[in-house]
Amino acid sequence: MSAPQTPFDYEAALHACARGERHALQRLYEQESPRLLGVVQRIVVDRALAEDIVHDAFIKIWNAAASFDVSRGTARGWMFTVARHLALNSVRNSAREVAMDDDNDEDSHAQATLEGWQDVTDAFDWRVNPGRIDFCLDQLDPVRRNCVFYAYVDGYSHQQIAQKLGAPLGTVKAWIKRSLVALRECIG
Amino acid sequence: MSEKSDTTPDHDVQILAGEYVLGTLSAAQRAEVQERLNHDPALRRAVDGWEARLFALTEMAEPLPPSSRLWHRIERSLDELSPAPRIAVRTSRNKPARWWESLNVWRTLAGLGLAASVILGTSLLTQSPPQTMPSYLVVLVTPQDKAPGWVIQANAAREIQLIPLSETEVPEDKALQFWTKADDWQGPVSLGLVKPGEVFRVPLDKLPPLQPNQLFELTLEKSTGSPINKPTGPIQFIGRAVKVI
Repeated sequence: MSAPQTPFDYEAALHACARGERHALQRLYEQESPRLLGVVQRIVVDRALAEDIVHDAFIKIWNAAASFDVSRGTARGWMFTVARHLALNSVRNSAREVAMDDDNDEDSHAQATLEGWQDVTDAFDWRVNPGRIDFCLDQLDPVRRNCVFYAYVDGYSHQQIAQKLGAPLGTVKAWIKRSLVALRECIG
Repeated sequence: MSEKSDTTPDHDVQILAGEYVLGTLSAAQRAEVQERLNHDPALRRAVDGWEARLFALTEMAEPLPPSSRLWHRIERSLDELSPAPRIAVRTSRNKPARWWESLNVWRTLAGLGLAASVILGTSLLTQSPPQTMPSYLVVLVTPQDKAPGWVIQANAAREIQLIPLSETEVPEDKALQFWTKADDWQGPVSLGLVKPGEVFRVPLDKLPPLQPNQLFELTLEKSTGSPINKPTGPIQFIGRAVKVI
């Protein structure tokens, strides 16, 4: 007979980390390291680098546990935020992309038409969890939805997305801005 | 799609925050946002909103089992850190070291610019304690930048004194609550509400004897103190007891 699983108390574990209780960090590690590594590896690709970043994330979680503020978001979300931004900093900081921001924003609005892009299909199997965001993503055109996923899940820059899609950089930028506005209106 | 809000400052902040969380910003733009997050509450709220809005997308990445070495690496790094938020070091496992012989203690204290006042404090502490009763010293620092805010002296009379080193600002509807926890206790025990800028004295009759490494902290709680008698608010100052021989 298995006892009913009590939900893992991330907040209590972070408070314990703030008090210097190392086994609390170990519990968080056992609970979340595979998912954190999955998220980080998608962004940085290299496995050894991904483990380095998860290592750094847990050190940061340990050091910053006392400053975690529940009024700003969930404890579990905060752990992913820490790891994801370390991964994004890493890929952006090592990027050799020089400024190719030749399209300015006025242009990008003009270029933001979807004409010719309606036939694009989903590049991601994205219906991962029932909830508001799925409904709202569903409202986006597939090509814009793909932009959101290439950015958030794969950590692609505007330029990388433009290359991937074969679309002009300005268009991609405008699509992403539009998607953000639409998602915010829809999710709230 | 609505065009009306496209040029408001809030719109710009929302787009910047959204692109930051989405990950599309350049290294320079990311550094700028991360710097602004320290002092721009509107941007911070916008970023928090986007983190929450998009969080579900983290599930699109397949979980991967880390190599078995990764946790040990993390533990080694924690060992090497002067383990924040601790300021004191644990007694050496092999042989008890005198606390002033520990390089880490001096590094930390010197880093805080506190060495001089600690020596002063120590000389006061060590003037007359009976040989059998150890005295303890704790420096409470802010968790973020390790700035010292309070010193705790615990002497043979089994009274502890919490002495302010600087003025602590507390919002009107809040109070500073003083807690302690030894390693083998179930949870922190309240020592009472503390007035900023004033010396606070606690008789320790009702508590077990102080232990090396015992944790002390000040948290921000409701003005009447934590409703559940456990710390609920953010830690303002934290430190651990060092035995003074």
